[in-house]
Amino acid sequence: MLNMTNISKVYRSEMVQTHALRDFNLQVNEGEFIAVTGPSGSGKTTFLNIAGMLETYTGGTYELDGINVGKLTDNGRAELRNQKIGFIFQGFNLIPDLNLYENVEVPLRYRGIKTAERKRRIERCLEQVGLGARAKHVPAQLSGGQQQRVAIARALAGEPRFLLADEPTGNLDSLMARQVMELLESINKDGATIIMVTHDPELARRAQRNIQVVDGQICDFKLYQGGAEQQRATAGA
Amino acid sequence: MSELRPIFNALMRGKTGALLLIMQVAVTLAIVSNAAFIINDRLTYLHQETGLQDQNLFRFNLYTFGKQVDIRQQQEVDETLLRNIPGVADAVVINQVPLSGSGDSTSFNLKPSPQQSQSERAAFFMADEHLLNTLGVKLEEGRNFTAADVVYSQYYDKNAAVALVTRQFIDGLFPAGDGLGQTMYLGDIPLKIIGIVAPMKGPWLKDEKPDNVVLIPQVEGVAFKRVLVRTEAGRRDEVMQQVASVLLASESERVVSNIKGVDELLATYNSQDKLMSNMLLVLICVLLLVTALGISGLALFNVGRRTRQIGTRRALGAKKSDILRYFLLENSLVSISGMILGSILALAMSDVLMRHYSLPRLDNWFILYSLCGIYLMGMLAVYWPALRAAQIAPSIATRNV
Amino acid sequence: MFIHYIDLAWRSLKRTPIVSLLMLLAIAIGIGITMTSLSVYHMMSVNPMQHKDEQIFAVQLRTMDQDASWWTVDNLPHQLTYQDAMNLRQSPVPFRQTAMLKTGFGVKPDNANIAPFMEVARAADSDFFAMFEVPFAHGGPWDKRIDLQGETVAVIGAEMNRKLFGGGNNVGKDIVLDSVAYRVVGILADWKLEPQIYDLNNGAWGNNEQLFIPFSLLPIEELKSWGNNNGWKYEEQKTYQDKLNSEVVWLQYRVELTDKQMQQDYRDYLAGYIKQQQQLGRFNRDDAQGDIKYISQWLDYREVVSDDNKVLVGLSFMFLAVCLANILSLLLAKFLKRAPEIGVRRALGASKTQVFMQHLVEVGMLGLAGGVLGLAIAQLGLHLLRSGFSRYEQVAQMDLTMWLAAPTISILACLLAGCYPAWKVCRTTPALYLKTQ
Repeated sequence: MLNMTNISKVYRSEMVQTHALRDFNLQVNEGEFIAVTGPSGSGKTTFLNIAGMLETYTGGTYELDGINVGKLTDNGRAELRNQKIGFIFQGFNLIPDLNLYENVEVPLRYRGIKTAERKRRIERCLEQVGLGARAKHVPAQLSGGQQQRVAIARALAGEPRFLLADEPTGNLDSLMARQVMELLESINKDGATIIMVTHDPELARRAQRNIQVVDGQICDFKLYQGGAEQQRATAGA
Repeated sequence: MSELRPIFNALMRGKTGALLLIMQVAVTLAIVSNAAFIINDRLTYLHQETGLQDQNLFRFNLYTFGKQVDIRQQQEVDETLLRNIPGVADAVVINQVPLSGSGDSTSFNLKPSPQQSQSERAAFFMADEHLLNTLGVKLEEGRNFTAADVVYSQYYDKNAAVALVTRQFIDGLFPAGDGLGQTMYLGDIPLKIIGIVAPMKGPWLKDEKPDNVVLIPQVEGVAFKRVLVRTEAGRRDEVMQQVASVLLASESERVVSNIKGVDELLATYNSQDKLMSNMLLVLICVLLLVTALGISGLALFNVGRRTRQIGTRRALGAKKSDILRYFLLENSLVSISGMILGSILALAMSDVLMRHYSLPRLDNWFILYSLCGIYLMGMLAVYWPALRAAQIAPSIATRNV
Repeated sequence: MFIHYIDLAWRSLKRTPIVSLLMLLAIAIGIGITMTSLSVYHMMSVNPMQHKDEQIFAVQLRTMDQDASWWTVDNLPHQLTYQDAMNLRQSPVPFRQTAMLKTGFGVKPDNANIAPFMEVARAADSDFFAMFEVPFAHGGPWDKRIDLQGETVAVIGAEMNRKLFGGGNNVGKDIVLDSVAYRVVGILADWKLEPQIYDLNNGAWGNNEQLFIPFSLLPIEELKSWGNNNGWKYEEQKTYQDKLNSEVVWLQYRVELTDKQMQQDYRDYLAGYIKQQQQLGRFNRDDAQGDIKYISQWLDYREVVSDDNKVLVGLSFMFLAVCLANILSLLLAKFLKRAPEIGVRRALGASKTQVFMQHLVEVGMLGLAGGVLGLAIAQLGLHLLRSGFSRYEQVAQMDLTMWLAAPTISILACLLAGCYPAWKVCRTTPALYLKTQ
């Protein structure tokens, strides 16, 4: 359902051209949980931004659910993003002066969903991440792990087919990181496709497929089919 | 001066903000310098010397509707009554009131009409021999009217033969300076100039020649009269309250109206100018306030945005005074650019005002004054944000936000 | 969504209270100052008879001899001589016409409790009332016959009617003006015509007379001029008749010319009149001519709105521009500081349009609040004007147009200032702000 062919991205400044991605080819199937790893500056985040249509690309074609993204206007991309994609960031990126309920509400507003339906979805998603009782709190009153769970609830509220996560556990301690990871796995089981950028090899191993990006190109492909339980056992030992 | 380059670069990065501030300073300078100039122009006009004690003078209208009243005789009685009110210095029935904004003027010639000759226009006051004393104006040369000079006319059937004049007027008609004792003509009526009085203004301060005044010892018998009264200092109000009852007690078939101080008449005549200068003053004040707040606000934002950068500089050894200087210098750069642009704008604006709205040309000194004022204000406005920047602790550079 | 934007805008304004207050003050002061001067300008430049604007004309004649010139821009006196007024009154061309003189009387009321008083009066022809649509409460104008013969009749204003008679229908009663009895033929309803387009010589405001008498009484009652008298040569005036025969201009003249044809006919008539008078030895100049100016031309020509007022309006708008530049830079700084949040919103599916709208609503709200506060400031300004300068009592007012104009100008101005910052913030690359905070 996500199909990137020969995608390239060049950043031009006055002096230099930087190839963030080159000849990047990737196919993602429905229901996959993919981890993207690689050294910093390798192009992981650029790939994720292009996948989420936050950035345009310089060359190649990108199809999402059969729609050629390159042919969409900015507003069309915004709409597609709003309907199909949920984002989770390393820095949580909650809006500080909205409370949890309102934070989760943001993407639903842009989709034009009616108040009653919004309320139902928000409450369900906050329940799902275990923060149903704290809907009126503002982000500053929560711990990092809780904030990230709100961010996940926000991503889920739109019932996206795709969840794009950029270092979702990067700012969390290991206990909280594990909770967040478990949440993502359960979401994946419920049917959402997840692409997660991480530098943590342990987390990466828990995904079904593992892509390593180096210098803007995919250089390694690993499949951990059904290996998640196994890996955890090894790591725990 | 080595600091200028990084400041310049920083400004170029936030160029919209800097550009806006430059525009703001420029327009402010243009408005302030032109407005200050207009204010100064109006204040000079408003506070000019009139040669008259306008606070001690008042006027009123006396209109006799009774057809049986002997106007000529009643006037004698009235003037005596008025002059006897305690506190009155002197009083006359007069054809027009100085500084009131309404009256008559006419041309005086060297030769009788219809011969063509040098002529000079002047406002002319007609009253009896008490005129000069009532006006409170001194005689500088020659002699004053006597009772024998005064002519009482009906439809101008008789005419006075002498006149007193101001120096501005006589020097206009007789540029050689030998006017005293000579004869001039009002139409074909000869008037001998018997004296020169101290400078005094006629009825219109905005006249082309407000100092041209001629005093004529003649009283025209009309039903509608204006009366001018000079009181002793501080006693005008009490006299003003009495005049109507004193005069009506003598003869009731008439109306006393429009009892007004001459200063009040002058204020009404000048109200547009007073209003203009007041409005402009308010405009300048709020404009400076708004511009100052704008400079402060933007500087505060910049300090906030550059907190980490400032902390880093401090950590690298910059002193508080260096940070302070950085911001003051940055503001100077913006101010000076704005002022150069503003000076041009001020001149252009003055040109438009002069051509389309009958205002005098801007005195360039006012650009300079406004320039200094606005620069100083800009420095004051940026000082507090700059001080806050200087207070930023070096440790902020290393702290993870 | 709009209501949601308003909610967001309110939160955003609350989050930076000092900056919001600064912006609010800037726009409010800007609007306050602008509306104060604009209101005065608006009231001054009002045309009280817009619907008859190009039908009522002031008549002027260049009557001076060759070597004499007038101080007006077009070298034409504002008023007419008595002989010219009397001659023009014979013209069959105009639909309505009136010669006028500002005069006055000592009025002695019947009621001994009311002291005699001075009253300004207007001598006019009976057409005056219909031409200027003066409303009557009782009676009406005097008969056309009186315009030719002269008879001591009067039309009095509502206020005068209350003052002399305590109100009511008093048509047929006498009033005593300068010891002469005048029979009241008409009583006006409350009426105001400002600026006073039929005579602007002694101020345009607050001068509508309460007493009207036939112009034909001039030679009979020897009515004195209470207005302006201007001559261009020395003439002996020993009697009232001398003044009537003189070249002194002291009378206003207005004609109602209902269509273009009639206007052209009247111009031709004036040209013919001048030729005829030149044969009689008057108007000794090559460029002797007549002119007619309709109401708005006349208001403009007589500079009812002074240059000072225009300059003030211009300066106020420049001041408003400075306020806007101020707001613009504050908005720019404020919006760009919020770029990370906008990045998140964009990532969550907000389109550029939605982000743009969100910010425009915010500045619009600022504009509305600023406009309302600005109105209050303008009201204060106008109040100060009225109390400090009595001649501004009539014009330092706000009519409905101005009440609506204040928030409209304010919102438009703010939207104008807000466009660039809103556009700038909606086109920032969202990805830039998402990685770290």
